[in-house]
Amino acid sequence: MAVYSFYIFDRHAECVYKRRWLPRPASIAGKSRPTSDTPTVANGLATMPSTRTTDDDAKLIFGTVFSLRNMVRKLGGEDDNFVTYRTSQYRLHYYETPTNIKFVMLTDTKSPSMRVALQQIYINLYVEYVVKNPLSPAEHPGGLGVDNELFEQSLEQFVTRVLS
Amino acid sequence: MSSSTKVSRIGEELWKTKIDKVNAELVTLTYGTIVAQLCQDYDGNYHDVNKQLEKMGYNIGMRLIEDFLAKSNAGRCANFRETADMISKVGFKIFLNVTPTVTNWTSDNNQFSLIFDENPLADFVELPDDGRAQDELWFSNILCGVLRGSLEMVQMQIEAHFVSDVLRGDDTTEMRVSLVRYIEDEMPPEDD
Amino acid sequence: MSHPPRHSSMLSISNNVQTAATPSEKPLPPTQLQATSQTPPGLRVPSNRKTIYDRHLNRTRNGELSRASFAFLFGEMVTYAQRRVTGIQDLERRLNEQGYPLGLRLLDLLFYRTTSSTSSSALSSSSTSASPPNRPLRILPLLHLIHGPLWRQLFNRSADALEHSISPDTPNEYMITDNDPLVNTYISVPKEMNQLSCAAFVAGIIEGVCDGCGFEAKVSAHNQPSELWPSRTIFLLRFGDSVMEREKVLERAGVK
Repeated sequence: MAVYSFYIFDRHAECVYKRRWLPRPASIAGKSRPTSDTPTVANGLATMPSTRTTDDDAKLIFGTVFSLRNMVRKLGGEDDNFVTYRTSQYRLHYYETPTNIKFVMLTDTKSPSMRVALQQIYINLYVEYVVKNPLSPAEHPGGLGVDNELFEQSLEQFVTRVLS
Repeated sequence: MSSSTKVSRIGEELWKTKIDKVNAELVTLTYGTIVAQLCQDYDGNYHDVNKQLEKMGYNIGMRLIEDFLAKSNAGRCANFRETADMISKVGFKIFLNVTPTVTNWTSDNNQFSLIFDENPLADFVELPDDGRAQDELWFSNILCGVLRGSLEMVQMQIEAHFVSDVLRGDDTTEMRVSLVRYIEDEMPPEDD
Repeated sequence: MSHPPRHSSMLSISNNVQTAATPSEKPLPPTQLQATSQTPPGLRVPSNRKTIYDRHLNRTRNGELSRASFAFLFGEMVTYAQRRVTGIQDLERRLNEQGYPLGLRLLDLLFYRTTSSTSSSALSSSSTSASPPNRPLRILPLLHLIHGPLWRQLFNRSADALEHSISPDTPNEYMITDNDPLVNTYISVPKEMNQLSCAAFVAGIIEGVCDGCGFEAKVSAHNQPSELWPSRTIFLLRFGDSVMEREKVLERAGVK
C-alpha cells in the first residue's frame, strides 16, 4: 500500500498542513510546468490538470470534501459523514473532528480504510505535538506551528513505518 | 440509566483509565503564580486581571477542546442541556477531577449555572486583604475563558461569568453560562 | 541575598501557604473564629468556612489532576511571558521569576510535611520532642532535599542525577539532571530558538527553595539532549560566595 499525500484543513477552511510522499513526476513537480496530458498514476491525481501547484491541489481537495460532506449530511442527516471515496486512480480517506478540523489522506486504490489511522494522527500526533505545544499558536494561519519538528517527524514515522 | 448518569460514568471511566495525571498541587500552585504575576503586571487593577485571565482561558479552551475530544471521542451534543452535562461530568472531571453541579436553567434552556463544591485552582488561596480584591477579582476567571474558547471550537458562542466565589466570602462558587448562538461553518474565501 | 526585591515584591495573593514549620508572615486574621455577630474588618469568609485555615493542609497532598491541565496552564504562562520579553534570555528570566515564589511556598509545605510525617502526632506532641530540625544547613543536604523530596512532590519521582562540578575553578557549581522534564513534554522548540529551555520555570522553583533555605544561588536550565533522552535538561546551581564561605566555617565546626 502507498500513501500519496496528506492534508489538514482548519475550521477557517484553510489548509494548515500538506505533505506528499511519492515523488511527483518531473512534469508536475518542476518549477516550469510544461503542460502534459500523460496521465500520471504516481500522485494519484492524474486526472487533474498538471499545471496545478500544491496549493491548488489543497483547494481542490478542500472543495471536494467540503461539498461531499455537505451533500452527505443533506441526505443522511446532520450526524452523517462520508469516510472515503475511490476513483480509478486513488482512494481519498476523510476524518473530521467536531471542531471542524479535516484530515485527508490520499492512498493507492487497494489501501484498506484509513479512518482509524487518521483518527490516530489526530489524537496521538496533532493533539500532542501541535495543540499542546505552547510554542505553537492556538490557530495556524499559513500553517504556522503545525510544521514543528516533533509533529513532522512523528508523522513521517507513522506513515512510513506503521502504514506501509 | 438516565443519559446524565451515563455521561458521568463516561467521565469517571476516562479519568481512571485514559488520563495522565500530575500532582494536583503543582497545578494549583502554578495557577496561583499566574494570577499573582498578572496582579503585579496590571498593577493591582483587578478588572484588567479578570479580563486577562479570561483571555488566557479562551486560548487554553481552543486547545483543550481538542484534547477533550481526542480523549473522550465524544460526538456532537444534541442540545445545550446535553452540552452542560458533558462540560460538568466529562470536561471538568477529566481536567480538574471535579463535577460542578448543573442547575438554575432558564425556561428556554439557554442558560444554566455551574456550582463548584470544590475548586482545585483555589486551594491554598486567600485573596489580598486590600479592601478591593474580594469585591473585584474573580480568581478563577480563567475557567470562564476556557468554556468560551472550547465551545466556540464546537460551534457554540457562549458567555460565561462568575456570580459568586467562596474566596469572596460567598457561600458558593457559581458560574453562569449562556448560549448566545450556534456558529455556522466557515467557507473558504472566494477565488477569482 | 541576591534578590532582596523578590521577596518583598511577592503578593500575598495565591497559595498563601502558612504552616507550623515556618513562622507565618501574616498573623491569622482575628476574624476567623466565632466572629459571626459583628462585622469584622478584613476578609469575609463563607459561612461554611471553607477557608485555607479551616481545611487540612494535607488534604490535597496526594491529589491528582490531569497532566494536560498543567500543560495548558504552563503553555499559556509561556505564551503570555513571550509577549512581554525582548528575547530568549529575557523569556527564561521571566519564567524563572514565575517559578521562584512557587519554590518558596513549596518549601514551607515540604518542611511541614516532613515534620508531621516523622512525628506521627505532630499536633499533640510538644515542640521540644518533635523531630530534629530538618532545614538543611549545608549544601549537600539541601541538594538531596531538591533531588529527592522536592522532585517527588512536584513530579512524583526523584531527579535523575546529582553532580558536583569537577572543575577546581567552580567548586560552587552543582548540577541536577532530569532526563525527561514534565514541563518540556509537549514543547517542540524551533531551531532558531534552540537555546530556549522552558524548564527555566523549574530552575526558578529550585532557586526559590535555595533562597528560602538561606542559600543564595543562581539556577539555570540547559538543554542537554542525548539519543535516549531528547529533552534531557541540566539544572545548574551556582551558589554565592557567602554560601561557600559559610560552608567552610560549618565544615570546620563539624556541622553536617
